[in-house]
Amino acid sequence: MLRSPHAFLKNTTWSTNPSLVSSRAFFSTRTAQAHRPSWSSTSRRNALAHASRRHYAEAAGKFSRDKPHMNIGTIGHVDHGKTTLTAAITKILAQKGGAKFTDYSQIDKAPEEKARGITINSSHVEYETDSRHYGHIDCPGHADYIKNMITGAAQMDGAIIVVSATDGQMPQTREHLLLARQVGIKKLVVFVNKVDQIDDPEMLELVDMEMRELLSTYNFDGDETPIITGSALAALEGRDKEIGADKIEALVKACDEWLDLPARDLEKPFLMPVEDVFSISGRGTVATGRVERGSAIKGNEVEIIGLGSTLKTTLTGIEMFHKELDRGEAGDNMGALLRGVKREQIKRGQVIAQPGSIKAVKKFQAQVYVLTKDEGGRYTPFMSNYRPQLFLRTADITVGLSFPEGTPDPEEKMVMPGDNVELVCDLVHDVAAEVGSRFTLREGGKTVGTGLVTKIL
Amino acid sequence: MLKRLVNRQCISLHRSYSTAPKPTLQLVAELRKLTETSISKAREALSATNNDVSAALSWLQNDLAESGAKKAAKVQGRVAKEGLIGVCILSGGTGHSSGLGGIRAAMVELNCETDFVGRNELFGKLVSDIAHTAAYISEPVDSEKLFAPCPLDILNDSPLLPSDASRHDPYQSSISTAIRDTIAKVGENISLRRAITFIKDPFPPSSPYGLRVANYVHGAVSADLSQGRMSSLVAVGLKSTNLGALLQSKDFRTDLGVLERSVARQIVGMGAQTIRSDSSNESTSDALYAQPFMMYPQSPEGASVEDVLRIWGREHGLEGGEEPGVEIVDFVRWQVGEHIEPS
Repeated sequence: MLRSPHAFLKNTTWSTNPSLVSSRAFFSTRTAQAHRPSWSSTSRRNALAHASRRHYAEAAGKFSRDKPHMNIGTIGHVDHGKTTLTAAITKILAQKGGAKFTDYSQIDKAPEEKARGITINSSHVEYETDSRHYGHIDCPGHADYIKNMITGAAQMDGAIIVVSATDGQMPQTREHLLLARQVGIKKLVVFVNKVDQIDDPEMLELVDMEMRELLSTYNFDGDETPIITGSALAALEGRDKEIGADKIEALVKACDEWLDLPARDLEKPFLMPVEDVFSISGRGTVATGRVERGSAIKGNEVEIIGLGSTLKTTLTGIEMFHKELDRGEAGDNMGALLRGVKREQIKRGQVIAQPGSIKAVKKFQAQVYVLTKDEGGRYTPFMSNYRPQLFLRTADITVGLSFPEGTPDPEEKMVMPGDNVELVCDLVHDVAAEVGSRFTLREGGKTVGTGLVTKIL
Repeated sequence: MLKRLVNRQCISLHRSYSTAPKPTLQLVAELRKLTETSISKAREALSATNNDVSAALSWLQNDLAESGAKKAAKVQGRVAKEGLIGVCILSGGTGHSSGLGGIRAAMVELNCETDFVGRNELFGKLVSDIAHTAAYISEPVDSEKLFAPCPLDILNDSPLLPSDASRHDPYQSSISTAIRDTIAKVGENISLRRAITFIKDPFPPSSPYGLRVANYVHGAVSADLSQGRMSSLVAVGLKSTNLGALLQSKDFRTDLGVLERSVARQIVGMGAQTIRSDSSNESTSDALYAQPFMMYPQSPEGASVEDVLRIWGREHGLEGGEEPGVEIVDFVRWQVGEHIEPS
């Protein structure tokens, strides 16, 4: 990836003689950075995205990346046929060439995997419909889904709730819906399974009615949510097409039509975390970093946000390795030439973003997972007012942690390694953040926690 | 009440379905609201009782004995290592506001298969009722140990005594019945894994000794802070010739409460195994007294639990002569699912 800096310098229009020294510094820093263990949440997440993409690619070699991707999960009671359903989906789609058939035993294991150093039990399969590519997640428990959300290992954008027609919704179905809410899922599809085991089809109306009522209770769209009734087992065994294969196809279609695709990084407003800053005489100040989302072209108005100052300026040039470009977009490592900005006015930890798209905040509430000692985290609990370092994108800021208002006896409450907990983060400096921003907490050189911003205070 | 439910059902049915609602559907829905039973069972009950809801209710209760047992047998082999630990303290000991100075406390662990069920209200109530029952029915035992394991067969056969008497269900003749009914409702294996009790008659008022119970529960999933994923139960001994007078003081009792809770938290948080280390060779991190007292808010830097207790006793006018004025006599620390093999 890193070509010789000299090759770059020959091509770049910025490299007038006096700037040679600083430009070289720019590149040697970059090289060093590539080898430095990177802590920032962005680079971690990107690394992870690559890793998981590779994993998917291995699973079924030939998928194209042209279709929009989204992650969905199955949530339901242990006996209601989540795993059978997942196997059936892969089987039916495999017949169309959109999946590799994964049988029950392969899915049911939910192997332990490490995401950002955290152990999560979950199983993944992937499949492709006519219009989309899906990553499908199944976790055995509530805590695993929460860890999944916090780490962003496989952020669920939608879910299929599985309910058996014989039992109907169960007491814990409430917990399933609460979880879906908590991990930020806005829309669900319901699959009513095992219809071949009931003798009175009228009862399906009841399941339907009760589910819609419950969905509405938990602020999902109870009236419009698609409810598909069928038998995953029939589909898997290749019998009773009308309640088997047909219904799986109907379910997949409902997912395609009802579940909203997450906004693609490219479509979001431009944001680039500042990793390094250089001054190139004759040209001005260049900030480098990896574009997290969106795109920018030469001449765009941008804002430099965080660490105590907000500054408006214009992007006068975009540079990537050995070329000057007109446009930089999500995933690019680029240098941004900024008009009228002095070297001292911008530093690592700030972001360059489309004006008004993100704000600098000093205090927010977050869902935090505290790593166990086996995961490399703390050995001991901590209490209110614990002050580790918070790493958000490239920023590194001391943070004071406390419990949200309304917590009973906050001065007597402790947080233990392995806990999932809602905390208030009070930063020493402000940083560009929004609901959904991920961060890590570090202390004495090790990661002690990882979190997701849930509310700006 | 029933009538209102039926009416409400009718309205919602009309809203969702323009076709004429079938009466049995409403009744099944109603029965499910009342009992959380499965759809197929509710239907069976109604057809067996000619659509008479109250008759169907008793039919269901009678049937639970059989079908619940069947369901329980079906799930019995499955690993249950999630769940909750529940604590009930009916009487906290010397100088405590609850009870007459004796101790009556219990801690139980109830397991289920997934943390979804562990977070459910039904399960939480069952845990708290079992803990309450154990604390209520147990007798002081003649043994050196303060904490006595509560025999599970006795506990399983004893009637379930809810902490809130209004929840008493005449059909649930015993704890094992209550567990079986919950299994039938949530469809997961549920098992009462262990229970201990701490029962002690009060010391005579003139005694220089006092005994109290402290506890801390970590990882509560609901507003009920007496149940969670980890818990400690601690026996705190006091000694002073002046004990009666000291305990009259509200400040003294408040300070003592803070200290006790800190010790209980320390045990959960720092994973103590014993009170003192048996020999100087062994690692001291498992011995409570040798650990730095991190969980006590006013703890001086680096002071051990033993130091803090000694200082606290002196500062608060507890003198024990040769013996310390305040000490930890015994404790238990539990974690949900510990030592349960995955399969």
